[in-house]
Amino acid sequence: MTHTTDNAWQHPEVQLASGGYVVAYVAGLVLMGLSLWIVRGHVLAPMETGIAISALAGLAALIQCVLLLHLNISETQIWHTVALILFIPLFILAIGLSSWMFHGLYRRTMLMPAAHVSAPATGAQAAGAMKAPG
Amino acid sequence: MLVHIDGPWSPLLGRLALSEIPYKNPILVGTFVFAMLVGVVLVGLATYLGAWRTLWRDWLTSVDHKKIGIMYILIGLVMLFRGFIDAVMMRTQQALAVGPRSSGYLHALHGYLTPYHFGQIYTAHGTIMILFAATPLLVGIMNILVPLQIGARDMAYPYLNAVSLWLTAAGAALVMASLFIGNFAHAGWFGIVPVMELPYSPGVGVDYWMWAFQLSSIGTTLGGINLLATIVKMRAPGMTWGRLPIFTWASLSANLISLTTFPVLTVTLALLALDRYVGTHFYTAGLGGNLMLYNDLFWIWGHPEVYFVILPAFGMISEIIPTFSEKPLFGYLGMVLASLGIAGVSWGVWLHHFFTMAAAPAVNAFFSITTMVVGIPTGVKVFNWAFTMFRGRLRFELPMMWASAALFLLLVGGLTGMMNAFATNDYMVHNSVFVVAHFHMMLLLIVYAIFGGVNYWFPKVFGFRLEQRYGKMFFWLFTAGTAVVFIPMFTLGFMGMTRRLDYVAFPQWGPLLDIEVAGIAIYALSVVFLLAQLYVSFRDRAQNRAGLDAWETSRNLEWMTHSPVPFYNFAVTPEIHARDERAWRVEHGVDTVRPERYEDIHMPRNTALPLGLGLLSFGLAFGLVWRIWWLASVCAAMIVVLIVIRSFDNDTDYTIPAQDVERMERDIRDVPSGRPVTGDVAGGVPAFREGV
Ligand code: HEM
Ligand SMILES: [Cu+2]
Repeated sequence: MTHTTDNAWQHPEVQLASGGYVVAYVAGLVLMGLSLWIVRGHVLAPMETGIAISALAGLAALIQCVLLLHLNISETQIWHTVALILFIPLFILAIGLSSWMFHGLYRRTMLMPAAHVSAPATGAQAAGAMKAPG
Repeated sequence: MLVHIDGPWSPLLGRLALSEIPYKNPILVGTFVFAMLVGVVLVGLATYLGAWRTLWRDWLTSVDHKKIGIMYILIGLVMLFRGFIDAVMMRTQQALAVGPRSSGYLHALHGYLTPYHFGQIYTAHGTIMILFAATPLLVGIMNILVPLQIGARDMAYPYLNAVSLWLTAAGAALVMASLFIGNFAHAGWFGIVPVMELPYSPGVGVDYWMWAFQLSSIGTTLGGINLLATIVKMRAPGMTWGRLPIFTWASLSANLISLTTFPVLTVTLALLALDRYVGTHFYTAGLGGNLMLYNDLFWIWGHPEVYFVILPAFGMISEIIPTFSEKPLFGYLGMVLASLGIAGVSWGVWLHHFFTMAAAPAVNAFFSITTMVVGIPTGVKVFNWAFTMFRGRLRFELPMMWASAALFLLLVGGLTGMMNAFATNDYMVHNSVFVVAHFHMMLLLIVYAIFGGVNYWFPKVFGFRLEQRYGKMFFWLFTAGTAVVFIPMFTLGFMGMTRRLDYVAFPQWGPLLDIEVAGIAIYALSVVFLLAQLYVSFRDRAQNRAGLDAWETSRNLEWMTHSPVPFYNFAVTPEIHARDERAWRVEHGVDTVRPERYEDIHMPRNTALPLGLGLLSFGLAFGLVWRIWWLASVCAAMIVVLIVIRSFDNDTDYTIPAQDVERMERDIRDVPSGRPVTGDVAGGVPAFREGV
């Protein structure tokens, strides 16, 4: 029932956006297209692929947070700041701790050794299986 | 692009065929007949009572937060019943299928359920109890209470609220549909990888599980946004953060969790959907996929979810105990910080659900420690409750009985949780029924808090108190059932019994399993007394009319409006002076003061669109489950169309003129004691809905 205006154009978020939405949308498409291309085309070696698309994903997240969600530390839009305070620790916890867990997991599980080496998959599997029980 | 599916498929019906209807299974046929009978009786009753109009106008199209709350609770109760039946089947199966010489019935080698059916039952039980029973019950209670506790007229987004409700309902309906059309997943409630990948689960079961989960997850995310916005933006004048009722604080922290973690679940399930529908390899064991990715993502949501359900339960306990100790809550600030602290810690512990899955020792140690840290805020809460009761004038009425028994369950559940939290210990008990017993203590705590809360706030919502004699018998039988089922289960856990056994190879476990069946029988018996309690309460409702403050010693804002609450909540938005506003007004002798003049009230208008969106999303999910592409596309398109239509609708609210408010308020009879009692209201929520 918070009901100040029926006209969406008059919402402050929209008025303050000044084109940022379009930029964010196009950038999002480009970044996703790029990562899709890297993955589908097997352009890079497995480990490098992982790193590359993670970096692209990070960039995409950053662009969305700044241009779509307007996370910043302005005093006038206090809720943006609150959202930022929520976002940073969550990001560190979820992504950081997950990466920590995955780092070192392959060695213990012998799963998918291909990710560790840059050779084509079949050869790598044999090689990886041999040095896996580390 | 779509993956190839083995077996028949037709453009019209997708994978659906007559052979998918389990009409040869006597248990399912019986269930079907039962469901149809209940349906016919309900439809007949509605027709006989001429209730269709009311049903449509006052319930199905309602955006009133109290009615939406009640409908959430009804969904929760129906699903609780379904989940309970699943539990009965699992207990009896395990007791029957002990040892190689145990006999088999109904095509089962041992017991009466084949592994195929047993797998579906434990999956359905877990999914239902957590997502379609506990969550809707709690969301319903938050829906009813939060606006009342902060002096608002409704939620911040009443329309969105109805959408959340009907999405949850669609999810629940999907789970139910899987009983009679096709089958359900057998990969556990949390989805065991790679079992729920297409090569291992080629049927529709996992698809049912996945889409039902997805619908309820979206519904809960939207609900969380709504409750947060309500709490932040809709507080009555004077309701500072330091005066916010404790249940509202608990809801705030719970919904912070739902806002931040349910989206992770949405993505997790979406990736699974990609694996199963277009053949990606996110969670497969080869081709670049990674099983652990699923576990990681699922539990990033999964653990916070368990705190999402426990925080409102803690909130209810924190409201009930002061009322029946006739004292203010001890350590308000500590309570608030503890709730937020639990929410905060819950984001950093998820890995304790897969300690045994080869993370580095340092990683396990880290998550062990964070898991144990949860004990600190939880301990703060327990001590605050204890100090609230200390030197209080304790009255053990029904809500208080449920709330104080919940504390014992918290003790057992919390301590066993701590035992699991040692990664070293967890290597012993992981995947055993010890873990099952642990989390049932926790979830039963929630159930106890819910029963306490329902008994406590029932008079506020319906205008009459629930009867206590049968209620107490229900309480004691339920508690006996809890003890008789779960003490043997802990014991079996220590004896090494693993989870999800459809056949029990060790005869020495038999006797304890038999005791568990006795416990389940006690539970079943207790339900009879619950029904008796409800029946007697309804029959004698005239004697049990409640005034504003049903318990005479309540403290919060919600007890300052009439019982049952009029659809506009408060005739005049109250001005808040203190933390326990009602207690403050009683103390200052101003609790019965009537407002000098009334003002226009601005209310949201009913709409049938949310119901339509719910139906369409059911259709969409059903179409996706059976791969009936035309159905899915039509429903998806219609959903978009409805959303567009709604966004052009500017006539979404109306105003009740001040005179009407005054007239309606005058119709509420005042009883000499100064406790206004609603007139001859039939005991339904809304009482006098007019002027729509
Ligand atoms: C004191 C706080 C708690 C601690 C230390 C704790 C610890 C744990 C640990 C370590 C496990 C993993 C055991 C294993 O799989 O080997 C676990 C499982 C579980 N806990 Fe807790 N827990 C706590 C509170 C709760 C609460 C409040 C709930 C629910 C309301 C809950 C529900 C569950 C569930 C559902 C599982 C098992 C999920 C599954 O494997 O199906 N726990 N708990
Ligand atoms: Cu957990």
